[in-house]
Amino acid sequence: MYKSEKQTIFNVLSLYLTSTLLLIATLFAGYYFYKQSQHIYNEKEILKKYTLELEDKLNLTHKSGRDEYEYPRFKNFKSAIYDIDKNLIFSTFDTEIKNLDEEFIIKDKKSYLISNLKPYFLGAAYMVVEKKVKPLYIIRGLIPLAIIVVIITIITSFFLVKLVLTPLRNNVHLLDNFIKDTTHELNTPITTILANIETLNTSNCDEKSLKKLQRIETASMGISDIYQDLIYILLNHKILSKNEKLNISEILDERIKYFTNIANTKNINFQLEIKQDIYFIADKQKIDRLIDNIISNAIKYTKKSTTIKIILSDTTLSIIDEGKGMSEDEISKIFERYSRFDNTQGGFGIGYSIIKSIADEYNINIDIKSQVNVGTEVILKW
Amino acid sequence: MVKKIFLITFLLLTTLYSSDFDGKCLNCHKNKFQFQMFMKKYTMKHSSERRIKNAIYEYLKNPTYSTSLLPFGFLQRFGVKEKTNLNDKDLRDMIDIYYERYNLKSKIY
Repeated sequence: MYKSEKQTIFNVLSLYLTSTLLLIATLFAGYYFYKQSQHIYNEKEILKKYTLELEDKLNLTHKSGRDEYEYPRFKNFKSAIYDIDKNLIFSTFDTEIKNLDEEFIIKDKKSYLISNLKPYFLGAAYMVVEKKVKPLYIIRGLIPLAIIVVIITIITSFFLVKLVLTPLRNNVHLLDNFIKDTTHELNTPITTILANIETLNTSNCDEKSLKKLQRIETASMGISDIYQDLIYILLNHKILSKNEKLNISEILDERIKYFTNIANTKNINFQLEIKQDIYFIADKQKIDRLIDNIISNAIKYTKKSTTIKIILSDTTLSIIDEGKGMSEDEISKIFERYSRFDNTQGGFGIGYSIIKSIADEYNINIDIKSQVNVGTEVILKW
Repeated sequence: MVKKIFLITFLLLTTLYSSDFDGKCLNCHKNKFQFQMFMKKYTMKHSSERRIKNAIYEYLKNPTYSTSLLPFGFLQRFGVKEKTNLNDKDLRDMIDIYYERYNLKSKIY
């Protein structure tokens, strides 16, 4: 599975799961509130019955009493009565109810219903009845159900996303295989061209033919570079690094020689300040790719008849061109794959992406200083 | 000592006022039952101590058919009572004693 594909699956899955889980949460919350309101309704209904019982008894007590009045007491609920000014008249509660403005209160696992009374039997204008709240185990019942639903949703959504992405994935695979095969098929002709040009006896050639041959060689090298980059990208860092102690100074010389022909076509001069015997432990192929990409970019974007300065010290490598330069915004986007700012030049915009991935692998810091129409300096620090 | 003096003064005053109540109210309303019935009616209509006392005060100051709590038959037979000749302070004191003695709240157990 490709990194980008994984990312897409992850993004789609997160979006799908978030929205689905949100929907499930809303449904569960709705169910919870519905059950709760139903429970409160039932509690109220029971308390209303108790209130009627109390009212009847208060009526009887008020009418029958003379010197003393026995407050009505009940087995299944407690009660209290308050006068019109909200002063307590009598209570069988353990706690005091202060707020008589609310109709229904749940406090300390007890529910209270406050009702008005008229006429005021025993002076009672407010009757409060209390009962223990029947515990409501909605959440306890909902949690296992919610877990099952969430697990099913996650599994379903995973397969759904895979199913939706399958056609896209097949197309990507097809394209990928096509590029892989094409790239593979390119290898032999490019190598053949380059090998034959190298072994060609140029002593018998006239100047015109020699120039043409050089152009062929330059073009072939360009294709070879693109081929190498494509191989690097296609294998997607699956190549195991064969790290060894490399003489960077020698490699740099070798790569500059490799690019001399291409540089000559633009009349670009290399100014070298290379300190000898600088060593670095890395994979040679990768370091070749790193240096090649920086130099080829410098050649590609520098103006004709200018100088590319290459400075190698103990811990830094600077490649300075006199090209068209880049803005701050362009520099910030340069490491994104396929980002290209100048379509007048060939390429896929993968050079700096390769530079970045190799530099990251070896903890090499890349610093890019650039001024539009002045030039660019790429500094590698390790 | 101070407590004792206070207690004795309070008891003396209560006795004085109570005897006043007996003289000013009970000499006409001899029947204790009537007092209990009035208090029941006032309690049922006005609920709280403040409202009951105010209602009794207003009625005694200006008794009318509409403010009387007596059943219609009684009113037809006896009419409304005469206006009180007690001054405001005495009237308020007598109502306080009446409430103190006959209120329903203190009799609930």
